[in-house]
Amino acid sequence: MTDTTLPGQDSEGRAKSAAEPLPHYVNPAPFDPSTKEAMTPEQERYFMAPQWRLVWWKFKRHRVALFSAVLILLLYASVLVSEMLAPYNLHTRNTNFIYAPPQTVRLFHEGSFVGPFVYGYDYRLNMENLKREFTENPQKVQPLRFFCLGDDYKFWGLVEGSFHFVCPAKGGTLFLLGTDRLGRDVLSRIIYGARISLTIGLVGISLSFILGIIIGGLAGYYGGWVDNITQRGIEIVRSFPEIPLWMSLSAILPVTWSPIGVYFGLTIILALLDWPGLARAVRSKLLSLREEDFCTAAQLMGASPARIIGRHLLPSFTSHLIASITLSIPAMILGETALSFLGLGLRPPVTSWGVLLSEAQNINVVVLYPWLMLPVIPVIVVVLAFNFVGDGLRDAADPYK
Amino acid sequence: MLSYTARRILVMIPTLIAISIIIFIIIQLPPGDYLETYINELKSQGEQVDPARIEYLKEIYGLDKPIHEQYLVWVWGLLQGDLGYSFEFELPVSEVVGDRLWLSMVLSTSTIIFTWIMAFPIGIYSAVRQYSAGDYALTFLGFLGLATPNFLLALVLMYLANVYFGVSIGGLMDERFIDQPWSLAKVGSVLEHLIVPVIVIGTAGTASLIRTLRANLLDELQKQYVVTGRAKGLSPGKLLLKYPLRIALNPFVADIGNILPRIISGAVLVSVVMNLPTTGPMLLRALQSQDMYLAGSFLMFLSLLVVIGTFLSDLGLAALDPRIRLEGRAEK
Amino acid sequence: MTRPDPRKLAPLATAALAFAGLILGSPAATRASEEPPLLAERVAAGELPPMAERLPETPFVDPLDRPGMTPGRYGGVLRLLMGGTRDVRQMVVYGYARLVGYRPDLSLAPDILRTIEVEDDRVFTMHLRPGHRWSDGAPFTSEDFRYWWEEVANNDKLFPAGPPVVLRAHGELPKVEYPDATTVRYTWPKPNPTFLDELAKARPLYIYAPSHYLKQYHANHNDAKTLDAKVAEAGVRNWAALHIRQGHLYKNRNPDLPSLQPWVNTTHPPSDRFIFKRNPFFHRADRDGRQLPYIDKVVVTIADKGLIPAKTGAGDSDLQARYLRFDNYTFLKDAEKSKDFEVRLWSSAVGSRVTLYPNLNVADPVLRELFRDVRFRRALSLGINRDEINQAVYFGLGHAGNNTLLSSSPLFDQSYLERWANYDLEAASALLDELGLTERDSQGTRLLSDGRPLELIVESAGIATEESDVLELIRDSWGQIGIKLFTKPLQREVFVNRVFAGETQIAVSKGLDNGIATADMSPTEFVPITQDHLQWPKWGQHYETRGRSGQAPDLPAGRKLMELYTAWYDARDTAARTKVWKQILEIHADQVFTLGTVSAIPQPVVVNKRLHNLPKEGVYSWYPGSFFGTYHLDHAWLEPKDGAAQ
Repeated sequence: MTDTTLPGQDSEGRAKSAAEPLPHYVNPAPFDPSTKEAMTPEQERYFMAPQWRLVWWKFKRHRVALFSAVLILLLYASVLVSEMLAPYNLHTRNTNFIYAPPQTVRLFHEGSFVGPFVYGYDYRLNMENLKREFTENPQKVQPLRFFCLGDDYKFWGLVEGSFHFVCPAKGGTLFLLGTDRLGRDVLSRIIYGARISLTIGLVGISLSFILGIIIGGLAGYYGGWVDNITQRGIEIVRSFPEIPLWMSLSAILPVTWSPIGVYFGLTIILALLDWPGLARAVRSKLLSLREEDFCTAAQLMGASPARIIGRHLLPSFTSHLIASITLSIPAMILGETALSFLGLGLRPPVTSWGVLLSEAQNINVVVLYPWLMLPVIPVIVVVLAFNFVGDGLRDAADPYK
Repeated sequence: MLSYTARRILVMIPTLIAISIIIFIIIQLPPGDYLETYINELKSQGEQVDPARIEYLKEIYGLDKPIHEQYLVWVWGLLQGDLGYSFEFELPVSEVVGDRLWLSMVLSTSTIIFTWIMAFPIGIYSAVRQYSAGDYALTFLGFLGLATPNFLLALVLMYLANVYFGVSIGGLMDERFIDQPWSLAKVGSVLEHLIVPVIVIGTAGTASLIRTLRANLLDELQKQYVVTGRAKGLSPGKLLLKYPLRIALNPFVADIGNILPRIISGAVLVSVVMNLPTTGPMLLRALQSQDMYLAGSFLMFLSLLVVIGTFLSDLGLAALDPRIRLEGRAEK
Repeated sequence: MTRPDPRKLAPLATAALAFAGLILGSPAATRASEEPPLLAERVAAGELPPMAERLPETPFVDPLDRPGMTPGRYGGVLRLLMGGTRDVRQMVVYGYARLVGYRPDLSLAPDILRTIEVEDDRVFTMHLRPGHRWSDGAPFTSEDFRYWWEEVANNDKLFPAGPPVVLRAHGELPKVEYPDATTVRYTWPKPNPTFLDELAKARPLYIYAPSHYLKQYHANHNDAKTLDAKVAEAGVRNWAALHIRQGHLYKNRNPDLPSLQPWVNTTHPPSDRFIFKRNPFFHRADRDGRQLPYIDKVVVTIADKGLIPAKTGAGDSDLQARYLRFDNYTFLKDAEKSKDFEVRLWSSAVGSRVTLYPNLNVADPVLRELFRDVRFRRALSLGINRDEINQAVYFGLGHAGNNTLLSSSPLFDQSYLERWANYDLEAASALLDELGLTERDSQGTRLLSDGRPLELIVESAGIATEESDVLELIRDSWGQIGIKLFTKPLQREVFVNRVFAGETQIAVSKGLDNGIATADMSPTEFVPITQDHLQWPKWGQHYETRGRSGQAPDLPAGRKLMELYTAWYDARDTAARTKVWKQILEIHADQVFTLGTVSAIPQPVVVNKRLHNLPKEGVYSWYPGSFFGTYHLDHAWLEPKDGAAQ
């Protein structure tokens, strides 16, 4: 153990011992290895560190993963205060600003500093091709307001409020990412959509996590016919293309359910299709770990199977589990968008990224209103971030290697 | 080995029965049946349908029978090689699939090749130069395809390909080549139309390939024999390619069984968006319109491929590793 | 299957001459004998008789008399896009060869028939065109009518429930006679005023079938063994299924099936590209005696519905309206600049694009009581800001108002459109107060008599963004009068079944199909005669099942409508029918059974610039217009591309 170093990492221990060649000398005193191998404080910190800390150190070395983790935390924090973060209420329509392109935030007006502001829009309906044309009017300087009162909302559907971090100027507009076909602010819809899209993954994941661990754990520990049946079950689930499964499972959701009920139903559907991957990972990990020396040692010392699994086996691959969970959250988020696209998922009165994207899925948007495709950016960012975090975790998962 | 094979084949039978039952249930789960769906669609377009006629059609299509009877009729047919009758196309299922099957194979094979060409260099590079800027940049690129919702990317790229390169929108060839005999021009048109779907579908699959390759290679590169090789002054190229890469590729070879059904069914969503004449949109349409024998028989075919694929790879592994043959009877 | 043509021995000289004329291409002089390029070779080779002999003795003469119409040139390929193999039937709709057909002005005229004599709406004597042939050259005679009536409609394997219900007038079937090869007579004991309309519909009532072709699949004409072999080969259940599949004139799938349409399918499904070739024996000719259609081939490409606007914008279609929506107009107009098509705006015949249907048969007793109170329905209607919807969704191009006949219908009255359709929240609130819905909860939502908040769930089929947008707007204004609206998109099957079962409170769908009805068309869309009417499904079911299920109309207005429906059938002339219609429309305007929003939404029609004889402005409707059908696509013609070799 003493000679183990992290791959690719400079070992301080080895550097020191190489620097001072020992003179030939025999010490008559009784040999006490602990004095000889006394560790420097750094070494001690390293060798005595608990597993989670080792994982963390190793994880930190993946810069992008670290950055991604921070980003994800920020995004989840934003979900808590969507109402305040969004400049508009989710349902606010501006029928005078339908399909308005994004407004640019500027600082200087006619050479002088005004602070962040936007130019107001002049609107003209082109009857020739029925196009709503918006032009910036440099006369209309509309400074942004910060920490201000704006659209009314109900915070988490409970408390009335009207506080926003950013609001448009009084009587002005602030469509940083443009508006949609009813004149709703795309940015606000993205911010509200995050609440659903980011959490749909979590609920589903926890469910598939539980299913995966139980099923995979049973199969891995007991082996034999339990394992056999599980294997065949997994084979069956995985042998279907997922779309027919989505379709028929979403068909059995009771039609009387509220949108939120449907939302939970969907997460369950996604989870029901996601567990086999995890179960397989758990199973194969268990199979290989139970042959390890430390497991045999525990067995020899008379530990019960429950203790072995709970105390020795599980902790040694939680980091693997976490890594694979992190990698399946983005799959859930993408799954939600795909379901919405098929018309099986969440539907218009509910706002999620998937709903926004499936609304953007037509040629009109691509050619005329490209800003309606912007919800794709948060999807990409989140999926990428989760993937990098997952990668970082996986690299770091086994710190003793 | 022989007894293992026999046992393994026996296991396949209940699996297939279970799959066929599940498939049938899955198809029956959505409310209504083919005729109801069909008639509602007609009515929504203003056509009138005589209720007496509907009863009659139900009888002709055998939809008046109880579900378990319909199931037995279907399975009995399957056993005799009769895939059933497609209501929507009014043709035997085997005649409906036609060209779509092998066009799907063309698409999927090109996609897989594209994915490998993309993924191998990136995977190797990012394992060898872990945490370098190049690793980040290339992984980012590889993941980007995974992160972008396919259906949107497909639409945008298809439109751009039309505007800038004049590639006709949708399909796998120019319309004038459909149902025409093969010619050089037709092949050219197919190749031209393959580019966008291959990129869209391919980039989505690259990420996982990169990730697996990178992880496997990293594991392998830390092994003693690599260290020894390096210490003995082996050239870095040889050091990488001679053994570690080969071993890192093993999981892919083992996974080929799983690729089989994917080659046939293809990426459904992208195919739908891009109107590709592959089996995916056909399956989706059959499911939506509850054309149950078409959907059922096709799903059964896909599942059969998976089961056979798994069987083959199990067999291969068993040949390589005697422990598997003994079915983990080695003690806990 | 082709039949040996009796006139095969046409004088070779004539054919050769015709061919020569074509090569020389001298337009006016040889016009009458000019053969279409697709047929010229076969005519020259003697495989086909020359044009004069292919036409019936008295062809249908197309006067080409609408403004801007010119005699065309032969040839060319018309490309169309359709959304599925099933849409191949649209070629029967577009082709619109009917025994009698509607003209664009909605008058009925004989088409395949030479003449028709109608006595008292009871006796219909149809005279075929002597010398008229099926597309395979076999004669089209009264035998084809006899075969259909005696061996198809009255065969208990093919029509177990008897001939189609529309052939029953007051429950009774006609007596059918065939005095000679070109005469067929249908006689009912009581009047059947909808008979001709049924023959002229987009999906017509077929009372004939190509007997010479279909006999090979009929049990009467084959011994069991040969028939069984054919059934087994086709993989169908029995000979009846085979006969239906092979002989479906409307579905238009079978390329071997002889046809009377201008273009005949030549592609066996499954395919993504169906090629329709001109019918060499088509019965129409232009005023110069040249056989129609002008266009040689129609190529129908099957594409995903969602992709059709994009493909149309890329110039992949020469004539497209199907699957184009109003909101595609801007995109198409942009594409028009660089492509060789133009976008026209036709008017649509749909009553009100987005219409709400409060379910009078809803299971919930409290809501049912409420929906049946006309004051409540009026309040709902007054609470809709139709002008805002018109502006926001339709650029103000539609007409805000009720779901009733359009201004182009002769029965239109401004008051039908506008009554109870103004936006007046105060009046709406007053009506609701009057109903005793005065209690409100903390959010300002009115409370029902049993204390529940007044929350209405509007269900829709599918996820039409248009519907959800309009509902979004309505939700706001209803909120102001204390009514909470929730929307719930469902799968179409679920939607329909819930409406039928009374589980749906309010359904949203499109309005009247035929907003341009004339007095002579049956008022079926206004009276409870089918459960497909979302506002009174159980009343309709009661009528449809002759009282076996459903409920009899139990509101006075509902009973009155049923009386008027009978009165329309008994009315003997247009004036009497107009009177009945007006009463029906009056009841609808007063009772607000359906909540219309905006009507007369234009329909974008993309037309290749080289395509002539198609009107700039028209009505695009399924019924009665058969989309392009009543405008007779057979006289449309394509100008050759510049520099294209003729």
